[in-house]
Amino acid sequence: MATKPQRLHQSKLTLFLSLSVAGTNLQNSAKRARTMATSSEATNESSPMKDAFTKYAQYLNDLNDKRERVVKASRDITMNSKKVIFQVHRLSKYNRDEVLEKAEKDLAAVTDQYISRLVRELQGTDFWKLRRAYSPGIQEYVEAATFCSFCKNGTLLKLDEINNTLLPLSDPSIEPLQINILDYLLGIADLTGELMRLAIGRISDGELEFAEKICRFARDIYRELTLVVPHMDASSDMKTKMDTMLQSVMKIENACFSVRVRGSEYIPLLGSNDPSSFLVGVPDIEL
Amino acid sequence: MANGDNPLSSHSLEKQFETFRTELEESGTLRDRIRSVVSEIESTTRVMYATLLLVHQSRSIDELLEKAKSQIDVLKEKYKQLAQILGGCSGQYYRYHGDWKSETQSVVSLLTFMHWLETGSLLEHKEAEDKLGLNNSEFGLDVEDYLIGLCFMSNELPRYVVNQVTAGDYDCPRKVLKFLTDLHAAFRLLNLRNDFLRKKFDGMKYDLRKVEEVYYDVKIRGLTPNGESVGDKGVEG
Repeated sequence: MATKPQRLHQSKLTLFLSLSVAGTNLQNSAKRARTMATSSEATNESSPMKDAFTKYAQYLNDLNDKRERVVKASRDITMNSKKVIFQVHRLSKYNRDEVLEKAEKDLAAVTDQYISRLVRELQGTDFWKLRRAYSPGIQEYVEAATFCSFCKNGTLLKLDEINNTLLPLSDPSIEPLQINILDYLLGIADLTGELMRLAIGRISDGELEFAEKICRFARDIYRELTLVVPHMDASSDMKTKMDTMLQSVMKIENACFSVRVRGSEYIPLLGSNDPSSFLVGVPDIEL
Repeated sequence: MANGDNPLSSHSLEKQFETFRTELEESGTLRDRIRSVVSEIESTTRVMYATLLLVHQSRSIDELLEKAKSQIDVLKEKYKQLAQILGGCSGQYYRYHGDWKSETQSVVSLLTFMHWLETGSLLEHKEAEDKLGLNNSEFGLDVEDYLIGLCFMSNELPRYVVNQVTAGDYDCPRKVLKFLTDLHAAFRLLNLRNDFLRKKFDGMKYDLRKVEEVYYDVKIRGLTPNGESVGDKGVEG
């Protein structure tokens, strides 16, 4: 009689023991090797349930590997897009052309090197399935591209225009990777923060006209986004972005206000600023 | 000049955002249509579940299964509607996946439970797809949803075992334990991420333990049918 419960207890023990082993194992890198060993055992046993699960395991492994690669690509995109944004911030009225030229070159490098990696990974349904894995990178990229373009042309780079630059990356036979509206809008929302920094920098450099132009631009974006946000899918993080956006817009407005009010005592700064010179003419004059 | 180009750019800005609004509104309408079908799936599932709950009251399984099975065709029709709604935008399955994910997981748990009651074996992913008519490539059954559904099914088993034993079926724990042990072992072939599936799978061991305990209780009292577990027979006497 005594052996029976003991045996049963043992089986329970082994179960929990093996569970805890599996638990710790998941944390370390030996995980893959171990599971592969188990799965080959399983095929030897060849129970239909294990056969089926070997297939699911393969599916999950492939998916996770892909997700990992996409996350890495996204990180690289974020990192290098940030560099582009910093490059644009180095802009002043003396070096505008060369700074922007370098920023554009860096941005093109991001597209060629890193976005192309995403394009290779994301095919068919992956585009939406793995969106959370790559979305941060794409948002940063949109931010960098639109920031660059605004400083150069004074307008908002459109989604279609960005997507057109991505077309050559895809194999013509498959459906090309196109940034979706949601990621574009999330990127645009972040753009205001950079615009605020830029505006403050320009004001301290005396480029008040430019700062006012940035101010109008940021306001326009904020106003347009207000109308779009309710229609966005997961609008909760967009709502927090809208709050920070308004903060940024107000910071620019207050800075412009301060300069107007206090700067009126300082005529030479305002007076000398020919309205046409702030974007086009400045470098020529100074050089 | 700087002021001159502004109204123009602001106009094109407006135009782009207007297009966005239209597109997002369309996507919202699509989502509403999906949700209304999904809520019908949900209520069908509820009817099935209510029927299957009678197994705990030891009703005739054949009768219950027949009744529950009659709902499968309804589900099939609903999934067909979902596939049609999404038909226009291929590749966007996962854009709206969240809207039917949890309902589909419940559907899988019921289907696999029914299949187990009927055959004592596991309904595989492919078979589940076939049952729901999801075997075309555009609109399928997500493997992770299927696996989560299995975990939900596992949650049903401890209660089933307890009630079966109460009703006098002393062989039931052995069968369930065998099935659940196999299922648990099979799940351990998977490399899971720290996600919902992992959490659900982690819960499965408690189901297993509960069934083991019931089996133990029955067995230690010598209630298991004769001819079981040959090795222990000698000790009994």
